[in-house]
Amino acid sequence: MKHPSQATLALQAGGDLGFLARWRTQHHLRSCERCRAEVEAFATARRIASDLAEIPELPWNRLAAEMKANIHLGLSAGECVRHGERPVRETPLFAGARAIVAVAGIAALLVTGIVLERPAPVTTAVADDGMVVQATSRGIQVRKGGQELRLNNPNELTPKDTVLYAPDAQGSMRARYVDPESGYVTINNVYAE
Amino acid sequence: MSEVTEPGLELADRQNRFVSDNLRRIFVQIYRIVGNVADAQDLTQEAFIKALQHQEQLKDEQKAAHWLSRIATNTAIDFLRRNGRASFCEIEDAPEVHGGSESPEQLLLRSEQRNYLEDGLRLLSPRERAALILRDVEGLPAEEVAERLNCSKATVRSHIANARIKFRRYMERRKR
Repeated sequence: MKHPSQATLALQAGGDLGFLARWRTQHHLRSCERCRAEVEAFATARRIASDLAEIPELPWNRLAAEMKANIHLGLSAGECVRHGERPVRETPLFAGARAIVAVAGIAALLVTGIVLERPAPVTTAVADDGMVVQATSRGIQVRKGGQELRLNNPNELTPKDTVLYAPDAQGSMRARYVDPESGYVTINNVYAE
Repeated sequence: MSEVTEPGLELADRQNRFVSDNLRRIFVQIYRIVGNVADAQDLTQEAFIKALQHQEQLKDEQKAAHWLSRIATNTAIDFLRRNGRASFCEIEDAPEVHGGSESPEQLLLRSEQRNYLEDGLRLLSPRERAALILRDVEGLPAEEVAERLNCSKATVRSHIANARIKFRRYMERRKR
């Protein structure tokens, strides 16, 4: 025979079970003396606990007067504090000088962002023999006297696909870009020799 | 001719009536949970101050009384959580106890009984203790206990069952 749990029996003793659980438990109790005794023990414990309802005889009038006075005092103190409280901010958050500083700060941030986002300026490296290696918008160009030789970047590179140029102190120039379709990274080094 | 009343006075009157109507009930309710007159006195005041600071809740007296009971229960539970457990004072320690109607023997018996119950309550968590008091001592239905404790009926049943099991085990141990 499967007995109900202790928790179920404890709830049964106080009539706290739901309809179905109560019906099942009552059905079980009819045939199980052990569980009936358990429920009776819980009921006894409940009766004893109800002794806690007793409260000591107190000078109620004096106690009540004290409590009422303290409640009014507490409420008055609360009122004083509320009236005395100053709002943390009396002026609008963004007004006058604050607004100017805020706008200037945002503008400075935007300008910095734009400058940092701009493609690298055209750079130039000059070799010892007067040969000039120069990065242009189309690629790396080697120039000496009236002659020029240029290594063009692919035409499909859009202005968004930034080409990074890095000149070298020895007179060479490096171009680095990423193919937008394949994702391959290409690095071209042009030496002025 | 209609009587014109000052709004401030009207509010003060309403507050006074609210306090007078509910003071004893709330004090007893808190006392049963914390088991100590001095603490019950402080917590009763705290509960009323909390309630009266929300004047809009006092418009409907019945709802306000119900709401106050919830505040009182929660205030008492918070106190027990902060202080670990209920500290039941000896009956003789209660301020100016009127012993006139009871003999010293009766007082002693009552004190012993309360100490006995106090030890049992110490085994319960604050919520279990509050659930036991509200259900088995005050006789509130489980639905109302759940509302007072701000939890579901299933949770409150679990608190009640646990509290009864612990309390019964305690009594059985003490018998041996």
